Amino acid sequence: MPEPIARRRSYGSWAVVSSLWIGGCYNGLGSTAGGGGDGDGDAGGTATAGEGGDDAGPVDELPAPSTRIFRLTHTQWENTVVDLLGLSAPTGLSENFRTDPAIGGFMFDNQATVLEVDQTLWQAYRGAAVQLAEQVTADAAAMEAILPPDGGDADARAEQFVVEFGRRAYRRPLAEDEVTQLVALFSEAPSLYEGVDPFVAGVRLTLETILQSPHFLYRIETSNDVSGDVIPLSSWERASRISYFLWDSMPDDALLDIAAEDGLADADGVAAQVDRMLSDPRARAVVDHFHGQLFQAIKFPNVDPSPAFYPDAPPDLGEIVGEEFERFVADVVFDRGGSLNELLTSTSTFVNDDLARIYGLEGSFGPSWVAAELDPTQRRGILTQAAFLAAHATTANPDPIHRGVFVAQRLACMVIAAPPDGVPPVPSAEGRTNRQTVEDHTEQAGSSCVTCHGGMINPFGFPFENYDSTGAWRVMDAGMTVDASSDISLDGAQVHVNNAIDLVEALAASPSVHACYLRHWLEFAHGRPTATEDLAFTTRVGGDSLDGDLPVRELLIQITTSRAFLSRATEELQ
Amino acid sequence: MKVQRRWMLKGIGGATLALPALEGLAPRGARAADPAVSPFAIFFRQACGVACAQNTELGAEPERFWPSSEGPLSATTVAGRTMEELSDHLGRLLVVGGVNMQDFNYADGHARGALQLLTAQGPVVEGVGGDSEANGESIDHRIGRELNPDGRDSLFLYAGVPNGWLGGPCISYRGANQRRAALADPRVAYMGMMGIDSAQFELIAARQKSVNDLVRGQMQSLMAKSELSAKDRERLDLHFQSIRDLENTLSCNLSTEQQMAVDGLSDGFASDNGDDVMKAVQAHMAVAAIAVACGYTRSVAIQVGVGNDGNTRYSNIETGELMENFHFLSHRRASHDSSGAIIPNADLLHHYVDVHFARAFKYLLDRLAEYQMPDGSYLIDAGVAVWCNDNGNGPAHSSYNCPFVLAGGGGGFLRQGQYINLGDEITIARMLETIGSAAGLRKADGSTIDDFGDPSLPHGVLDQLLA
Repeated sequence: MPEPIARRRSYGSWAVVSSLWIGGCYNGLGSTAGGGGDGDGDAGGTATAGEGGDDAGPVDELPAPSTRIFRLTHTQWENTVVDLLGLSAPTGLSENFRTDPAIGGFMFDNQATVLEVDQTLWQAYRGAAVQLAEQVTADAAAMEAILPPDGGDADARAEQFVVEFGRRAYRRPLAEDEVTQLVALFSEAPSLYEGVDPFVAGVRLTLETILQSPHFLYRIETSNDVSGDVIPLSSWERASRISYFLWDSMPDDALLDIAAEDGLADADGVAAQVDRMLSDPRARAVVDHFHGQLFQAIKFPNVDPSPAFYPDAPPDLGEIVGEEFERFVADVVFDRGGSLNELLTSTSTFVNDDLARIYGLEGSFGPSWVAAELDPTQRRGILTQAAFLAAHATTANPDPIHRGVFVAQRLACMVIAAPPDGVPPVPSAEGRTNRQTVEDHTEQAGSSCVTCHGGMINPFGFPFENYDSTGAWRVMDAGMTVDASSDISLDGAQVHVNNAIDLVEALAASPSVHACYLRHWLEFAHGRPTATEDLAFTTRVGGDSLDGDLPVRELLIQITTSRAFLSRATEELQ
Repeated sequence: MKVQRRWMLKGIGGATLALPALEGLAPRGARAADPAVSPFAIFFRQACGVACAQNTELGAEPERFWPSSEGPLSATTVAGRTMEELSDHLGRLLVVGGVNMQDFNYADGHARGALQLLTAQGPVVEGVGGDSEANGESIDHRIGRELNPDGRDSLFLYAGVPNGWLGGPCISYRGANQRRAALADPRVAYMGMMGIDSAQFELIAARQKSVNDLVRGQMQSLMAKSELSAKDRERLDLHFQSIRDLENTLSCNLSTEQQMAVDGLSDGFASDNGDDVMKAVQAHMAVAAIAVACGYTRSVAIQVGVGNDGNTRYSNIETGELMENFHFLSHRRASHDSSGAIIPNADLLHHYVDVHFARAFKYLLDRLAEYQMPDGSYLIDAGVAVWCNDNGNGPAHSSYNCPFVLAGGGGGFLRQGQYINLGDEITIARMLETIGSAAGLRKADGSTIDDFGDPSLPHGVLDQLLA
């Protein structure tokens, strides 16, 4: 018998206790509690509960409390419309949707609890629905793509359309009363249009309605039967969780058919579908989207080294480094089946002639992109590629502060306190190296700066001093040999590194870094800040990622087959 | 099938944008739907303080912003100051000094200023700098929530790059930790309020009613589910309340000429080029003016630039060349790349940015002054336009003496033609309560409001600002 849900919890109720304060500068693994979920399982299948409430993952890896309603992101809306209506390209109509607010510094664009529908967005949804319905019903081929065959009985065809199209639009079968309501609306439509064929009018009004329905605009999770320590999601809800995580779009017919057979009730069934879906180009776009947000790709187009310091820098360097970044990530994750270790340490990448020059490659290169091997004594992985380096540099100099903050926060998941108010900018070098200038500015004994900069930020940034603002290798600065050595604090130990190559090797060998990478994937997958409940999973699978060199693709399978992903918490998020 | 995109294809009713000219409010001699326009407030936000007299690490800087003396504004008191740009409207101005914010622990001067500016609230979580959120509703939203017809949302408009410090749009809040989404493209903002110019309006409205009836039923069914948390229900209720039956708001339509002007100004709404941004701001202001003129909303907030406006490069008033980004100009140091060089004459360049904002504010005042009401009065006098700043000055980004330049008396509520300094009290809540009251907010007993913002702050309208 289902247990009533009586407990409620809100974000921010916990903090991970494995933390360490250095003065006012907190460098423990950061964590805040959170939740994330979605869909309406009223008419859906039922989940089969195995030992511990489901059959996925260790029983101590519980889901965090989450919302039950997940509004589609604007990207998901575009992708879903394309898949639902069989369009050949995105409509671009979401450009008329106001941008969702960024709340509390969440890294990704899918924080479920802030994805609302206000009047402005409702108007935009409505306008898009009206336009799409008009255009689809005016196009014979588009109509054929969404309508059942004409068997001569218009009423029967209308009902069949409602049932079949509705299942795809709501990502679940429609309940009987839902079918009745939509069929009634279909019948009412001819009186609401002038000069439109009655059946076409019915389709048009039905499309307008469905595209404005909360069951289309949200994923809604209504499963409520407690089994063990969790609430297993229905197969329909699981199908939507999986497809919106891996594809940023609706489930395809194959996945819906599997859900209809309750084929996602066990982890093996899920794994089989996930494996199939990861081979779809839509998964590439999502993996690119994830890494683009993690590595702040939004900064790439703004890369603009000063011609006074870098006269040979290509004017479109920002575009070039962004292209390399996308190609490299896709190649590692999908073409090579690579791991986080490979993302962090691989010497294989892609270059055009401009980038080859920056990397100091010998040989003949042109404007076309080709695979290339970089000097392993200078380049290893994504942190030594031009995108990260140039995006975290001033137009004149490397920026060890922001390079260090990025590595400490985003790769090692350390929490760095906000800087004090009114921090002056780094002064001019006046004969000092860039490192010396930053050290003098931020590491004066007794200052409020040294606490964070001396122990956390600068040590992660100085190893990159061998790379200038374009990402090119350098050994001299201000007439002196670059000092890229550093003593970093990682996994509770001090590690001496001589340069960025040593640093990335240390990061790639760090349990904290692997767990941190998993943590970000969970944030992205669930659309919420990290939660205490994530720790067991990120520690276990992060360990596997490190020890077993698990491919990123395998990590995604691990996430989608985990208990946390396939079930809900027994507490509701407040 | 490939969907063809068209700009301004559909207004709220699904009708193609009306061309040629529409009946409705238009400048000079046009008629409002109602005999009188209700009081309103339009907020225009600038970041990073202003170029005022101060001593910095680089030495003494002259006064370039505030009038030379308190009391009546005149050509003499504004000569050589930023306020001179508003000379055409001196008689309608109320320049307020001594608007002081509380030193809440936002751990960042820009967060403290931008998030407190319209909320008079501290942070939800202390000490998190750029990740901060305000702990309460903003005054623009409250005005809309309490006074707008049919519960319509107030307008929150934004021009500048979409991401950056404090996540871009950050001054308008529905409630604690509930940051509002802003409209960036002025054309989209206009589309949302324009009326339907179609002979088939009744059919369009009837179709939407059918759709809305069904969707509302679905929403109610969802919200009735016991398993939903209060927060989930709250979000669904926002959606539910946002569903609207179509109204024929033709009085909210711009003329063809105005539509073309808005279109021509709008393209740079997400730019980091200050000239483009200010054009988009003008388009926003044109939309704001028609919105308050036709009674679509009693409140509009226009934000320029991200939390520290650290991306926008405004042009040099003298040469037309783009200067360093505003944030670094305001610090007088470094450059776009923090290379550390002192920016020569940075206080003058900061003043140039202030002038850009003054000219934009004048554009708003000019638009509001063009609308003449049936009784012969002008729209600008019915409400209050507010040019406000997160900070008091440049390098220090002080929480004290944050400029509030008001124009229009709120239908005779506020003094005009004056420069008044409020002194050293923490006055942000009182300032916002005064503006809110000028826009028509009242307590249940009909008295002016005194309950806005953090309860620990001083409250009550500022008598010295009242007419």
